Amino acid sequence: MTWRAAALLLAGGVTLPLWPSPFAGLLVMAGAVLLLAALDRALAVPPGALTAVREGDRAVRLGDSATVALLLHNPTGRTLRARVRDAWVPSAGARPDVPPSRLVRIEPGGTVSLTTRLTPLRRGDRPATTLTVRSVGPLGLAFRQRSGRPATPPWTLRVLPRFDSRRHLPEKLSRLRVIDGTQVTRGRGQGTEFDALREYVVGDDVRSIDWRASARRADVLVRTWRPERDRRLVCVLDTGRTSAVRVGDEPRLDTAIDAALLLTALAARAGDRVDLLAADTAVRASVTSRQLQLGASAAAPRPGAGAGRPGLLARLAHALAPLQPSLVETDFDLIAAELLRRRQHRSLVVLFTALEAGALGEGLLPVLPRLAARHTVVVAASHDPVLAALTTATPEHPRDAYAAAAAWRALAERDRVRAALARHGVTVVDAPAGHLAPAVADTYLRLKSQGRL
Amino acid sequence: MTATASAPGTAARPRRRRHRILLPLGLAALLLVTTLVTHAVDQPDPDGGFLSPVSDGPDGGSRLAEALRARGVTVQRETDTQRAVAATRSGPVTLFVPAPDLLHPRTVPALRALPDRTRLVLVDPPRRVLLSAGLSVAPAERRWAARAVRPEARGLPCPLPELAGVGQVAVGLQRWALTAERWGDADFCFADHLVRLGSTRDTVLAGGSDPFRNARIDEWDNRAFATALLGGTGRVVWLDLDGPAPAPTYPARPPRGDGPADRPAPPGDDQPGDGPPGDGYGDGYGDGNGPGGRPGDGQPGDGSGDGDGSGRDDGSADGGDPPNPLWNAFPGWFWALLLQLLLAALLAAVWRARRLGPPSVEPLPVSVPAAETVLGRAHLYQRAGARDTAARTLRAATLTRLLPRLNLPADAHRNEVVVAVAARTGDGPQRTDDLLYGPPPESDQRLLELARSLDRTARTVAPHPGGPFPPSDAAHPHRP
Repeated sequence: MTWRAAALLLAGGVTLPLWPSPFAGLLVMAGAVLLLAALDRALAVPPGALTAVREGDRAVRLGDSATVALLLHNPTGRTLRARVRDAWVPSAGARPDVPPSRLVRIEPGGTVSLTTRLTPLRRGDRPATTLTVRSVGPLGLAFRQRSGRPATPPWTLRVLPRFDSRRHLPEKLSRLRVIDGTQVTRGRGQGTEFDALREYVVGDDVRSIDWRASARRADVLVRTWRPERDRRLVCVLDTGRTSAVRVGDEPRLDTAIDAALLLTALAARAGDRVDLLAADTAVRASVTSRQLQLGASAAAPRPGAGAGRPGLLARLAHALAPLQPSLVETDFDLIAAELLRRRQHRSLVVLFTALEAGALGEGLLPVLPRLAARHTVVVAASHDPVLAALTTATPEHPRDAYAAAAAWRALAERDRVRAALARHGVTVVDAPAGHLAPAVADTYLRLKSQGRL
Repeated sequence: MTATASAPGTAARPRRRRHRILLPLGLAALLLVTTLVTHAVDQPDPDGGFLSPVSDGPDGGSRLAEALRARGVTVQRETDTQRAVAATRSGPVTLFVPAPDLLHPRTVPALRALPDRTRLVLVDPPRRVLLSAGLSVAPAERRWAARAVRPEARGLPCPLPELAGVGQVAVGLQRWALTAERWGDADFCFADHLVRLGSTRDTVLAGGSDPFRNARIDEWDNRAFATALLGGTGRVVWLDLDGPAPAPTYPARPPRGDGPADRPAPPGDDQPGDGPPGDGYGDGYGDGNGPGGRPGDGQPGDGSGDGDGSGRDDGSADGGDPPNPLWNAFPGWFWALLLQLLLAALLAAVWRARRLGPPSVEPLPVSVPAAETVLGRAHLYQRAGARDTAARTLRAATLTRLLPRLNLPADAHRNEVVVAVAARTGDGPQRTDDLLYGPPPESDQRLLELARSLDRTARTVAPHPGGPFPPSDAAHPHRP
């Protein structure tokens, strides 16, 4: 039934005083309307006969818009007139080009493409939920609609992290090149490795002449050095309860993801391997660059030559996109075991978590000696600028004084955690939310320049 | 992917939700149906041998009739109302009507004209019978099932002499109440479940049929009660109706239809000596429905409809209901139009009721507000009035900020610190000592003053606090 059937009955009601027997007239009119509606319904295209497929974007960066088209095909011999609602989850920010209130017309055997523009509000996987087709009859008196007919073509739009710290990348890369150049000119030492033998030219440092190689050849050969490459870097993201806390205007996990992406971009350009592990009580995401190394070894790019590790950043972004904080205590035992089992070689472990006495003191500190014995550990934590504001603002009200006291106490606790971590030889990066990514990148560059990777 | 994984989940959830709604509703419906069915089975069927002196079923009255005969009471069974009324004419007699429901409306007024020294016993009569029999009693509250009650009513013993010595009787189904006028000549017994009206020609209303039925006559004092109630006059005329009584037939029925003034002959007219026939009960409902056709079977299109009511047999159904004058206030097409409007509204409702697909749901991400624990702890401090803790924390924090600026070690002596700070701020040593090492504040206002003074001191001595861990701390610019 549609409004037209009701309107038709209403219009017929006006003629009732003219009928010789009004109740008979009522019966006749109601019967006629019902009959027409039934006929109209029978003539409508059955929605189950339609076929629907989708095409369009699979991934979009948070803040951008994606377009996904729904191709609705009408294989029947009748013209389809239908209202179509292609529903997505609310956070997908779907705006259909053809709103459900407008009637879609598809000729027999024809196909219509109904596009939907999606501007997602959140990171992660945003699926399409239900496709509903309400097929209206030729008279517009009745319609056919059945849930699940036609079947909803599945589609999931992956919303990648925004990666705002991209803007820091050129500056950090230029600093990386400075480090490279310094190390090359310094020659043999920490942070460099043997590169090749070449013929001696006037001006070379005589200390770098390789006498044994020169003896095998007629020429005098010197060794050349290059910055260390293929160092191992592991980003560990804590997705436990502390990562759900909003720092600034986004959860702490998003800040950590942003910093991890910048670090990965930088390390990939520097020629290091980057692995990723995200865990709370279970491993939520894990990316290793091993397979990639094999595939990319043919065209091993020079550090700083521009290309970096192709695909690694995209793979990492895809792996990080669906991560969500969960309200559980992180199992640092699991993380340590995972790191020790999979990374036999010494690597730089960057642990993105929060400097919270309860979480780290009971979880991380017991396993830290084992971890620090094999790996270099960096703990990167973002803190809330609100806390600093509480401590520095002039109190206006007794509650401000209490808030300042509580904030000072929180800061003191954080200081204790820092000190405890530093005793284990852990580098602690503690920065406000917006500054975490460049701070972590700077720490990486510093360690690299000191050859401590 | 997630879409396919969530599809069965979303399909399972509505089913579970439907169960959640249907299960309690179904249980409630089952309970209701069971109760109603049990009650219907428990209640006696008013026709088919109900309280008949010749029926020995559980609802019959054969055992009561035997008990009466055993007391030497004559039991005269009558199956016709008029004959039963006529049988009361010969001497003192008890007219027992176990099923007043079945009386024809037009025969009920005849019950008014019973001769003196006649007792009329009505078992659970409906309101219409009470009205047309001219009894100023109305049914009050009714129980779900009959209950045994003691003979007292309103704290007084039962005034009926023949019922003296009767104990509990299962008559407690329907209570009776007087309509306001004629308060005097009514006797109530059994907690208002039994009422006797009138003095010489009395009428007794029993609240339930249980004491008279075969199945229950031996419970409580039911047998004594029933025989005492009916056997007082020595003769019982038992009106045994097998179904709704047919309309009474009169030898010559005058034409009707001119309103109540020209009423038909009352039912008792064909029996001579039946008191004054025209004593004003002829304008009862049974006779007054001549003008104005009833809406159910009338032709709505016939305008006013008066005048044709006389031709119809208004005795076919229960003609006790008056016609609603509203039916004739509007033309027939008006009602048809109203009905059609209703139908159109129904169609519109059917149209609106179908939604275009279910609402989309998705789990919301976990989110914890910023600085939640810190603000929560501040609130706790304030609620608990922990001024000493707050003051201690603030003083320690200020000292931590000041000491490096004053080039003093962390464990510097109190006097050293006071002198150094007083030299920078210009406040006296005594005040500075009070500020940094004084007693805890007594009130929130004092705490606020302390916090402000500490803040001012810190700003004076260390002008750029910048927080304990400024961002520049973490980002060490590397110089090769």
